[in-house]
Amino acid sequence: MLRVKRGDFAAFEELVEKYKKPVMNLVYRTLPDATEAEDLAQHVFLQVFKSAHRYEVSAKFTTWLFTIARNLCLNEIRRRSRHPADSLDETYADNEEQPIRQVEDARIFSAPETLLQGELEEKIEEALSELPEKQRTAILMCRGDELSYEDMAKILECSVSATKSLIHRGRETLKQKLKPYLRTGAWKEK
Amino acid sequence: MNESEYQTLIEQSWRRPLTRDEQARLDAWLVANPRQQADWELEVTVSSLLARLPNAPMASNFTSQVMLMVERDLAAQARSTGVLASVKRWFRNPAPRLAWALGLVAVGWFGIHQHQTNARSEMARGLSVMANVASLSNPSVLEDFEAIRRLNTSEDEELFAVLTSK
Repeated sequence: MLRVKRGDFAAFEELVEKYKKPVMNLVYRTLPDATEAEDLAQHVFLQVFKSAHRYEVSAKFTTWLFTIARNLCLNEIRRRSRHPADSLDETYADNEEQPIRQVEDARIFSAPETLLQGELEEKIEEALSELPEKQRTAILMCRGDELSYEDMAKILECSVSATKSLIHRGRETLKQKLKPYLRTGAWKEK
Repeated sequence: MNESEYQTLIEQSWRRPLTRDEQARLDAWLVANPRQQADWELEVTVSSLLARLPNAPMASNFTSQVMLMVERDLAAQARSTGVLASVKRWFRNPAPRLAWALGLVAVGWFGIHQHQTNARSEMARGLSVMANVASLSNPSVLEDFEAIRRLNTSEDEELFAVLTSK
């Protein structure tokens, strides 16, 4: 990051390569539209580059990066609540059968076990998307060991104990929602 | 191990797999507290599912798109900085700064002057209307005007006839 601060493009490119996946995963699960999420994730990195001169060496880079990502996501959510988007199911006035926009279903379906696994993945994605933003972000950040609880607390702007409580409550909700599927054993590692 | 340590181990398991030592301590705890076995299994399951969440779909040219955005932003910044710098240079000399200040003062003074002139002429127009209304005679004076006029006219004509006949 210090190299980026000095205007090193190659260093910035390395940084984008290294962190694009975790940033994109967080943004995508906050704004579940792949195109918009990608656009926003790109803006996160642009913001990182533009604010590089304000970056302080004492701060952990990932904390700073995820704070930017979360703030941009929250701004987007606020913007959307002010200007709700058109429905994908909206139809043409003269042809009610044909929706204005058609989105390709890119999922691949195959054998029954894959279907079961796919269904479970879908359920957990669905359960995650229904969680309050703070709980979801906390759980997603908690997945890797890149961020400590202190870092997560800084990003979420709350105390460490509040962060743990957010994760605990979020996981409890996930457990409740997934219990019927978990009993089948479909989740077990193959 | 006590309940608090068990909670700490659960919190550790949210972020990473437990070490051998941690796992051994946990197993011992679960043997002593079998009622918590089911709860622990659920924790492990959720952690496993979360760890296996697929990565978000991403374009292969994501990084190059970001670099392109950065280049565009830098170019736009350079353009705006160029204009800003020339304005700054221009203002660095005292003469144009003085000219600008004088110009602003003159425009301000002219504006205020015009405003005051307009306000005064408006007021004068209002006053003149009021003055005309005030100079009108009292209408009660004109109450018997017609009778007096007729009376005066006939007397004057008779008097004139007498005077001219003599």
